[in-house]
Amino acid sequence: MRSGDWGFVGLQTHDSPEAMYMTTNGSVPTVTIRIQRFNPDVDKKPYWQEFTVKATQGKTILDALHEIKEEQDGSVTFRRSCRHAICGSCAANVNGKNMLICDAPLRDHLDRKGRVTLRPLPYLPVIKDLVVDRTTFWEQYLRVKPWLIPPENIPEREFRVSPEEVAALRNAERCIMCGACYSSCQVVALNKKYIGPHALLKAFLRVLDPRDSAPRERLEDLDRGDGVYRCHTIFNCIDACPKGLNPTAAIETLRKLVIKRLAFEDARRERQRRLDQPIEIVGEAPLLSGGE
Amino acid sequence: MYRSSGFIAFLLRRLTGIALVIYLLLHMWVIGGINSGAEAFNDRMDFLGKPIFRLLEIGLLAAVVYHGVDGIRLLIVHYFDVTEYRRSLFYAALVVSAILVIAGGLPILLFALE
Repeated sequence: MRSGDWGFVGLQTHDSPEAMYMTTNGSVPTVTIRIQRFNPDVDKKPYWQEFTVKATQGKTILDALHEIKEEQDGSVTFRRSCRHAICGSCAANVNGKNMLICDAPLRDHLDRKGRVTLRPLPYLPVIKDLVVDRTTFWEQYLRVKPWLIPPENIPEREFRVSPEEVAALRNAERCIMCGACYSSCQVVALNKKYIGPHALLKAFLRVLDPRDSAPRERLEDLDRGDGVYRCHTIFNCIDACPKGLNPTAAIETLRKLVIKRLAFEDARRERQRRLDQPIEIVGEAPLLSGGE
Repeated sequence: MYRSSGFIAFLLRRLTGIALVIYLLLHMWVIGGINSGAEAFNDRMDFLGKPIFRLLEIGLLAAVVYHGVDGIRLLIVHYFDVTEYRRSLFYAALVVSAILVIAGGLPILLFALE
């Protein structure tokens, strides 16, 4: 299979994908991709290697990496899986910004010199090339008990949750655990004991979920030096999130709830008595996906 | 290094904070001169009367003002849901700091050049 062909099957109106993005003189522009290479078994320190690929229309940075691996240097190593920006495997640092490279068109990420610079996610140990060790990421994630702790009186039918309660979660359930926010956080860089924006966002999701029955325990776990108070409000997590989520706002909400956790728990107990009852919608119902 | 406006704000806040702690120690050393008698105190004050130290006071003013204004910026972020305006808030903190430093620094400069 020729490089750059995928993604156009069934859609092609031209002879080749190259023909879809040709300059006036009929040539396809090329792009230089700089990759930070490092193999800890062989190399003493990371080094840069440059590759040239054709910038055909619709080609993502991940497509370009596949092309490099298949045609130029088979030793280039990176993680990828779904190619649809939902598995979170391919997060990497492109021109200094963390993003999902499967979701990043090559032509939209050229720097001033017309190059694309690829680094592994910053502040994490490199296993090889663009593959990083995410052990601390998952350890901190498990620390906040990311699963739902259901109430004792589970309703016979479904849980009833109002549109306002869903909107208050600020789409936090859309997190795909790619690690872009965690590795953009300078606090994580300085202190690996810090829970991290990803785990705090998950804790926020569970604490605000009306079905969860342990908000006080969760908030108590966060009320510590390496919990919610370690965040220095640098906002990198918001800028890095490929799903447009807002971990900083979640942390600010948790900080307020940590202080009034006893009252919050009472309110939650009261709320859970009505979990199987229909929701009264007053006025126009807000969109379920609202609350960006 | 992951660069962003938030990181620059964080870095400036840390650096000005460290500068203020160092200033505080120096300040205590100067004021503590009174324990060694009036002459020692006057010697230290004379030493600090040089124009270079008066110019450094503008730097001190800048550190105090930026650190304080950045603290107000963070309080706004803590108490109101304004993460969307994070960059504007940082630039606003810089502009307010600059205005205050110029307003306060000009008299110090004129005094230093006397």
